[in-house]
Amino acid sequence: MKILIAEDDFASRKFMLRFLSKYGECDITVDGLEAVDAFLMALDADEGYDLVCLDIMMPALDGYQALKAIRDIEKERGIPEDKGAKIIMTTALNEGRNVMKAFELGCVAYAGKPIDQEKFESLLKKLELI
Amino acid sequence: MAEEYITEGMLDMFIFESEQLLEEIENLALNHKDDECFDDAAINEIFRAMHTIKGSSGIMMYTNITMVSHALEDVFYYIRESDNKKVPQNELVDHMLKVSDFIHEELDKIKNGEDADGDPEELITEVEIFLDGIKKNITETGNDLPPEKEYVPPKQYYIAPVASEDSKFYTIHITYDKSTEMCNIRAYNAVYSLKEVAEDLQYFPDDIITNEKSSDVILENGFKMGLQTKSEVDEIMELIGRGIGVENIEINQCSADQFLNFCTEVREEEQIVLNTTPALEPMPPKEEEPVLVTAGDIAKQVKKNAETKVIGKGKPSKKQETQSFISVNIKKMDELMELMGEIVIAEAVVLQNPDLAVPGLDLTNFHKAAAQLSKITTELQESIMTMRMMPLKNTFQKMNRIVYDVSRKLGKEIELEIIGEETEVDKNIIEHISDPLMHLIRNSVDHGIETPQDRKKNGKDPKGKIILEAKNEGGKVWIIVRDDGKGMSREAILEKARDNGLLEKPEKEYSDKEVFAFVTKPGFSTKKEVTEYSGRGVGMDVVVKNIQDIGGSLDIESEWGKGSTMILKIPLTLAIIDGITFSVGKTNFVIATNSVKEFIQVEKEQMIVEPEGDEYVMIRGECFPVIRLNEFYDIKGAKENAEDGIMVIIEHEGETVCALADQLIGEQEIVVKPIPNYIKKVRGISGCTQLGDGSISLIIDPGTLVG
Repeated sequence: MKILIAEDDFASRKFMLRFLSKYGECDITVDGLEAVDAFLMALDADEGYDLVCLDIMMPALDGYQALKAIRDIEKERGIPEDKGAKIIMTTALNEGRNVMKAFELGCVAYAGKPIDQEKFESLLKKLELI
Repeated sequence: MAEEYITEGMLDMFIFESEQLLEEIENLALNHKDDECFDDAAINEIFRAMHTIKGSSGIMMYTNITMVSHALEDVFYYIRESDNKKVPQNELVDHMLKVSDFIHEELDKIKNGEDADGDPEELITEVEIFLDGIKKNITETGNDLPPEKEYVPPKQYYIAPVASEDSKFYTIHITYDKSTEMCNIRAYNAVYSLKEVAEDLQYFPDDIITNEKSSDVILENGFKMGLQTKSEVDEIMELIGRGIGVENIEINQCSADQFLNFCTEVREEEQIVLNTTPALEPMPPKEEEPVLVTAGDIAKQVKKNAETKVIGKGKPSKKQETQSFISVNIKKMDELMELMGEIVIAEAVVLQNPDLAVPGLDLTNFHKAAAQLSKITTELQESIMTMRMMPLKNTFQKMNRIVYDVSRKLGKEIELEIIGEETEVDKNIIEHISDPLMHLIRNSVDHGIETPQDRKKNGKDPKGKIILEAKNEGGKVWIIVRDDGKGMSREAILEKARDNGLLEKPEKEYSDKEVFAFVTKPGFSTKKEVTEYSGRGVGMDVVVKNIQDIGGSLDIESEWGKGSTMILKIPLTLAIIDGITFSVGKTNFVIATNSVKEFIQVEKEQMIVEPEGDEYVMIRGECFPVIRLNEFYDIKGAKENAEDGIMVIIEHEGETVCALADQLIGEQEIVVKPIPNYIKKVRGISGCTQLGDGSISLIIDPGTLVG
């Protein structure tokens, strides 16, 4: 599977890369804007991402904005909801309202940092990504 | 839910909500346990609650909770469709409580940062077998089974962050050899090497990369780091390594709070240091934020340390009360209470100011204003007090469950009657009485109430009865646990007391009350065999200690064959009491107004001194022991002759003692403050307070003084 990781913090980025590499090919961006660009680029090349992991606090475009942009792009291109990329927010913000906001914007899961690897893995199984 | 209400963490919300629902279910189960069946409203309520828990636990990925709640939800789904009179109520209640217990247990694990790893299989099979019975009921009556409900997995998931409960906090202090060059870079090396293991890392000075001047600061003061990690000291030491020029590395483990304090303190300190070293050239603009510490990490830190307890938790569910509530952090309430205490003291300082004692000063207006001030502070204090008051309802309802569980295990039939559950007491006190009360109730169920056979033999109703009552009386709250069981045997207790060498006077001289009080001595149990619930002799002494800690007392009454009564008397509140101030020599004492019976001036003839030195005073034909506080506390310069001073007659739980005071000073509200730790515990003194003139006064604890 193809994975896109958007993460501005180096240590987290490194962790996510190491953790997710075993499941597929990972691309990395350091802010939300780059993530949206990468997503578009992949769609244009007809090899869209299966999984997108978005941090929330990022420069240029934050996680929410990136999430919304990606969902809008998908809508505009007529990609049905169940065929869209699975987007997981990965963030240290764990307040209920952050989670709700992300849910409303259409992420499929919200993982608090530090990430529970075991649960993350079982989530990937549930989402039938692995 | 409107967005602004969700300020708590996702996980806290889930736990809070689930616990409330479980409580609702449990109450419903217990309220209907003796009915033939649940009514429609209850069934819908339980169904809805289970559905909610199933849904939210699904999102949170606690699979075992989801599965269990799904099973119970199914049961109620079919009950709703079937003739529910045929469902055995006993079994149903049992299953409900088991499910609720299971979920509770898992929630507790989650709260403690453990994995919710309870195995639900057994419970689910049990519930499913039960469900099959219900399904059979439906088909037997010729009806079709309602369509199977399919489990729809949630569309969105939330993964809670791994609990960093076991991560440790360290402060690290590295000093470098004075001749080391570029030690800011060396310091950064240390930071860099720790990044791998760090969950949070703060270092000072924090601009070591961009500001060369920081090198001097490090040479001067050393390099300080605060580290949150799961690693041990050795590992950290190894990671930092002994680089060139390192003079000393000091690693100290500390608590989370200390860690936060360290971070803020050192930062302030460093800022001062950095500011005083004038920068020769303008500091280059920071190109990058410190990489590792994202705002989120700090926010999380603070959050974890902040108390998340809310007062509203204990409030009855929203449905019953339409008033609107806000939940307030209990810490804030405590702060408010403390401030109130300070105001009371400040008021006394103003109103009793020695400057006012100038002769011939016209104080009419001052006194008017003072009266107004006093009135308002009293009202303010009362309203703060009532804000902290909570009904005993929740605590009492928990007892319902205990009676149910224990009586079923022991094969006894017991009815619990609850009276006065709306009685309100201070929130802090509620927390302290829950455990002792639970113990008393267990005792009653286990030891008090006999088995149905024995009860029949003795001509009693085979169903035992326990009454749990709360009421306000004389500025205190009485909580009474009364059972109609076999009561306590005076002889058995005396015998045991004799064996334990507790008797201090001839047996006949002991009043019933004194005899029963032996039960509260450590290691005392008349029960021959030990049961799961009580009888080990640990407990009553702990109960009494817990109650005494909050200024309460326990009275035991009992009649052999008829039952026992335990009376808990607890103060309404802990912080501010009405007190009477008096002096002995130069020392001031305060005593709670409601424990003073009267003041009396005695004549020399009324004093009786026994040959061994004990002193008594004869007042209106009654004889009371006298305590001379000046001798008791070794106070110099107090009045020696009883007729010069004044007798304060102190009554405590039926015991009376007279204390000799030099003079009375007055009555006022006093703010109880604990005696600082560095002063050892003094008999007869429970705390201290500040008087209007700023002097410190000791608060007399009548309980220990009389005893």
